[in-house]
Amino acid sequence: MTRMHAFLSSDFFWKFKRSPVAIVSFTVAMILILSAVFAPLIAPHDPFNPGSLNLMNGFSKPMEPNQFTGDTFWLGTDDQGRDVFSTILYGMRISLFVGVASVAFALVLGVSLGLLAAMAGGRTDAIIMRLADIQLSFPAILIAMLVFGIAKGITPVHLREEMAIWVLIISIGLSDWVQFARVVRGSAMVERQKEYVEAAILIGRGPIAIAVRHILPNIVASVLVIATISLALAIIAEATLSFLGVGAPPTQPSLGTLIRIGQGYLFSGEWWILFFPAGTLLALALSVNLLGDWLRNVLNPKLD
Amino acid sequence: MKYLLLSTALTLGAAPAMAETFKWASTTDPQTMDPHAVNSAPVLGFLNNVYEGLVRRGKDMAVEGALAERWEPLGADGWRFHLRQGVTFHDGSTFDADDVLFSYERASSESADTASWFSPVSEVRVVDDYTIDFLTNAPNPLFPSSIANFMIMDRSWAEANESVVPAKDVETFATRNTNGTGAFQMVERQPGLKTVLEPFDGWWGEVEHNITRAEFTPIQNSATAVAALLSGEVDLINPVPIQDAERLGASGAVNVIRGIEARVIMLGFGHEADTLKYGANAGDPNPFRDARVREAVAKAVNVPAILQTIMRGNAEPASQLVSPAMNGFSAANDRRPAFDIEGAKALLADAGYADGFGFGLKCPNDRYLNDEAVCQAVTSMLAQIGLDVELDTMPVSNYWPELRADNYDMYLLGWSPGTFDHEHPVRFLVTTPNAEKKLGSWNFGGFSNARVDELLPMIQSEIDPAARQAMVDEVTAIYQSEHTYVPLYVQPLVWGTQANVSVVQRPDNFFILRWVTKG
Repeated sequence: MTRMHAFLSSDFFWKFKRSPVAIVSFTVAMILILSAVFAPLIAPHDPFNPGSLNLMNGFSKPMEPNQFTGDTFWLGTDDQGRDVFSTILYGMRISLFVGVASVAFALVLGVSLGLLAAMAGGRTDAIIMRLADIQLSFPAILIAMLVFGIAKGITPVHLREEMAIWVLIISIGLSDWVQFARVVRGSAMVERQKEYVEAAILIGRGPIAIAVRHILPNIVASVLVIATISLALAIIAEATLSFLGVGAPPTQPSLGTLIRIGQGYLFSGEWWILFFPAGTLLALALSVNLLGDWLRNVLNPKLD
Repeated sequence: MKYLLLSTALTLGAAPAMAETFKWASTTDPQTMDPHAVNSAPVLGFLNNVYEGLVRRGKDMAVEGALAERWEPLGADGWRFHLRQGVTFHDGSTFDADDVLFSYERASSESADTASWFSPVSEVRVVDDYTIDFLTNAPNPLFPSSIANFMIMDRSWAEANESVVPAKDVETFATRNTNGTGAFQMVERQPGLKTVLEPFDGWWGEVEHNITRAEFTPIQNSATAVAALLSGEVDLINPVPIQDAERLGASGAVNVIRGIEARVIMLGFGHEADTLKYGANAGDPNPFRDARVREAVAKAVNVPAILQTIMRGNAEPASQLVSPAMNGFSAANDRRPAFDIEGAKALLADAGYADGFGFGLKCPNDRYLNDEAVCQAVTSMLAQIGLDVELDTMPVSNYWPELRADNYDMYLLGWSPGTFDHEHPVRFLVTTPNAEKKLGSWNFGGFSNARVDELLPMIQSEIDPAARQAMVDEVTAIYQSEHTYVPLYVQPLVWGTQANVSVVQRPDNFFILRWVTKG
């Protein structure tokens, strides 16, 4: 009985095999994620190296040789002569990296605060949860923009471009921790009433050990579900910020930046600059979201 | 007669066809409503509808009388202006010579961005209520045409509202409120959102337009602007994105009006800065102090490629700071460095930068046609000679303060000579900055050349066209061989209007409302 065998014969995998939605969305997400991870191996050009661009390749149509240079690009080029296919692969890396990193940031922050609120109770609980309530009453994108603006203002001028991605991660992460904190607090309070926790208290384990060793493993499933759904939202939040021109720098375009650039050419017939990045963003966000949905149904059967 | 006019006005006012609200959109919101605070085309162009100068430019750019009915040279060194009588400001106070004197003091004060217009002026004297003399340091044949954008403000209004001195970066009452003598008065101002003008009933001139209300909205996104025009939400957009001009014109639903703007787009450098401020080599000695490095930049930028793709063949390369249509264009120096990567690399190696270096390029993203795309293209072209450019783009309202604070290593600038003369960019961009003499106020990089400084006053006072041109040619040759700036191209002018709208497009890209008819 190997672990692999155990996994393949588990309920989890059995349900996966019988859900076409899960199989399709998992496949699509995996293809997109892997092609983003291995972008330097797959992409025919390096769109982030400005020295490799030839402006005369600008606005090449998909699958047609450019009228000046004769070069052919699978999905065409943008206004700077950047290969759209390569740029999507590299742009997706930034989108995914920002998405994963900001969810990780939100997860660590939200889970810690949620556990703290549940374990400490009283005034600490009230302060943390009221803070969460206040933040929940603002749209997440507004908070992200606010944090982004302030952070950009206080970073030293010469570090701005390098810091832009990190600032983006923190601002999206800060706008998203509430989901984690609320769910973790609720689940943790339920778990706290159970006998195994009372037993742990009786044998004299400290509150931190109880929270981390006993309660956390039992609520990890719900955290995982929120993380997956948050990932889709974080990718969209990053795209929105970049679309509004406050996210990734123009020389390192993410999917949102590509869509912003493409939107300017919508009326002039250069549809491919907008269409392919937008399609990729749609596929990525939708597949991750569907996967998260399915995961929630499987791991949390009570909700059905 | 008065009764007759009144009844005509009533009938016209009652006819619904006459109640025309005209809406127009442009990428840049005028930074301020103060006519002396910022010397830039979006501000001056907009305020030309509200304020008036002693003289103004007509549909063909010829200078004609506005608040001055006529003017004459006063001996060799000055001009006498005879002012129009019976003109009132929008708040009802009367216009006279004292307001001109006040406006001169205001517009030439140290905090005014327009001060350099008055560098040739030694004294202004009020002769009587409707006569005023401008005395100049030397004969100045072009003076009246050089002050077409010098707008007159009411002394009592400015004093009552504590706006006696213009302010560039802080607000005064005059930043958001106006009181001019022009054909339109401002009734609402929401910076960045909407500015509303209505015709001024007490205007002295003959009304040619048929609009009763005009609304200006800045729309930064070019596709949004096109959509607004196509849906009929606005009557005019300026500019039409180059990439859409052909399609829109062919569609027939809207008119596309093209022209060549007087504006030359160029790259500027920090000439005085000791060190680079941005990029991988921040803190190292500034290579752009070396003319060879600037020449390498000039050779590495492939202007024909920019014009072919980004500008879609709608612009002409520029060899100097003015376009061939301007007075004083130096035909003798009409050559720009050819695109030559190897030559550029050799120059860099010669200057000791064989391995290139990193630096920062500042660029506006809502000021000139496709400005951000042009800067990105420059970034990738310079990468080909080993220069690693850190590009920072921003809206123009943040851009000018950054340039004034010297926060750049290299920057993008567009210049349209307000006087339509080559002397104008020389005075603003090439002459050594000198606040006292009101010179070089847009020479951000601090370029300085003794011979240019010596030639400028001689150009200003020379009456003989051939001798003047010879001196302009000499200045051109100097700034070309020094590569003070790298002129790229002359910006095209593309407006889009609804089919039922008729407008006049001037090469200075000023949109004059009083020539608009709708319906």
